[in-house]
Amino acid sequence: MNFYQRTVAILHKDLRAEWRTKERLSPMVFFVLLVLLVFNFSFELGGAALHEIGPGVLWSSYVFASLLSLNRTFAAESENGSLDGLLLAPGDRSALYLGKMLGNLIFLLAVQLLSLPFFALFFNLSIGFYLWPLLLVFLFGSSSLAAVGTLFAAMSNNMRLRELLLPLLLLPLILPAVLSCVASTAAVLAQNQGEKLYIHLQMLGVYTLVFAVLSFLLFEYVIEE
Amino acid sequence: MSVDEAIRLEQAAKQYDAHWGLAPTDLNIATGAFVLLAGDNGAGKSTLLRLLAGLCKPSRGRVLILGQEPHSSSMARASIGLLAHQTLLYDDLTARENLLFYARLYALPQRQARVDEMLDQMGLMQRQHHRVGNFSRGMKQRLALARASLHRPSLLLFDEPFTGLDASAVTHLRSQLAHFKEQGCTVLVVTHRPETVLQLVDYLVILRQGRVDYQAPWSGDMDGFQAVYQGQESKKL
Repeated sequence: MNFYQRTVAILHKDLRAEWRTKERLSPMVFFVLLVLLVFNFSFELGGAALHEIGPGVLWSSYVFASLLSLNRTFAAESENGSLDGLLLAPGDRSALYLGKMLGNLIFLLAVQLLSLPFFALFFNLSIGFYLWPLLLVFLFGSSSLAAVGTLFAAMSNNMRLRELLLPLLLLPLILPAVLSCVASTAAVLAQNQGEKLYIHLQMLGVYTLVFAVLSFLLFEYVIEE
Repeated sequence: MSVDEAIRLEQAAKQYDAHWGLAPTDLNIATGAFVLLAGDNGAGKSTLLRLLAGLCKPSRGRVLILGQEPHSSSMARASIGLLAHQTLLYDDLTARENLLFYARLYALPQRQARVDEMLDQMGLMQRQHHRVGNFSRGMKQRLALARASLHRPSLLLFDEPFTGLDASAVTHLRSQLAHFKEQGCTVLVVTHRPETVLQLVDYLVILRQGRVDYQAPWSGDMDGFQAVYQGQESKKL
């Protein structure tokens, strides 16, 4: 079986299980909405606040919501020892990484799409104008979070305090990507900052590529030990 | 390695920190043999099974399955079926979905037909669209057996397969083990209930404190087994 088919099989299985249980997507969506709601009541959102704190609020909520999902990435594999079944199957074990990483990416993008109308509502934003550039930023930003997060989720999977350790290990490492996400979102909302947006998207692209390659190389060792 | 050897260990060992999970071990198992792997808790049985399944790498020495190292060889892993302590199934998927997922991982041709065949063989056709999380222990074990044998492996590894099963489930599982033996599969069973499989056994391996204490062809009964097992114990003392 080739690498692509194994990846698709794992992704398909995860999406089917999630569609049935909603155990990752629901908490993520509610978490993001609650953060936006809290900020809405804590600060006077809209107007100038959109540019000052809007992108930071948005990406903070996405990063912390992604931690909820990343913690569950390998949970289903641990519950009945299914990880052994995946490792026992023939073929390149990195397909497991790619399947899981794509699953995390899809979940994060879904949360972003579902929360975007609420972000627009709280910040008095006419989203139609910004939609396509924002989607591009979401795609690049979520790819970087998923690429690194999936590897660290695998690393922390067998640790006793994985819910605590994952954020401690992951957050320092994704800081450059988060800063680029915030800056590129600010560039989109400010308009006429195409060059700045392009530079930050390039940074996110390189970041994702580097960590995806590293994760491919390291995943087999990480998942076994 | 001879083509007649399904399993070969050459000074294979697994070390966890300061202690040996399995001390350097030599072991040869012929193709088609039915092997009982016995030993007390902590003797290294599960470690040996994990090494054989390629789920961990030996700290030293070599493990060969049909002449290839399972840890690095996809072909070797494709020839192994593992029924472990846990079911390796997904509670949120149905019985059919679980088997289809594994059929896809193993790139089986005519997946639907093969899954139908296994569900029928295990008596689970009526419950094929039910979530595994709602299954009884016996049904889960039957489905786990279907998963382990779905890809027609030539080497089957069983780790305590009778745990938690009632009498009818034990009988069913035992008949399946006999079926695998008839088909010429190499079968290795770890169990604390040796009486359930002794009639099928033709090779006995006893592990003690991470070492192979006894290995020899076997055609004895339960009394003979107890004598050998306790004899090894007294030898140890």
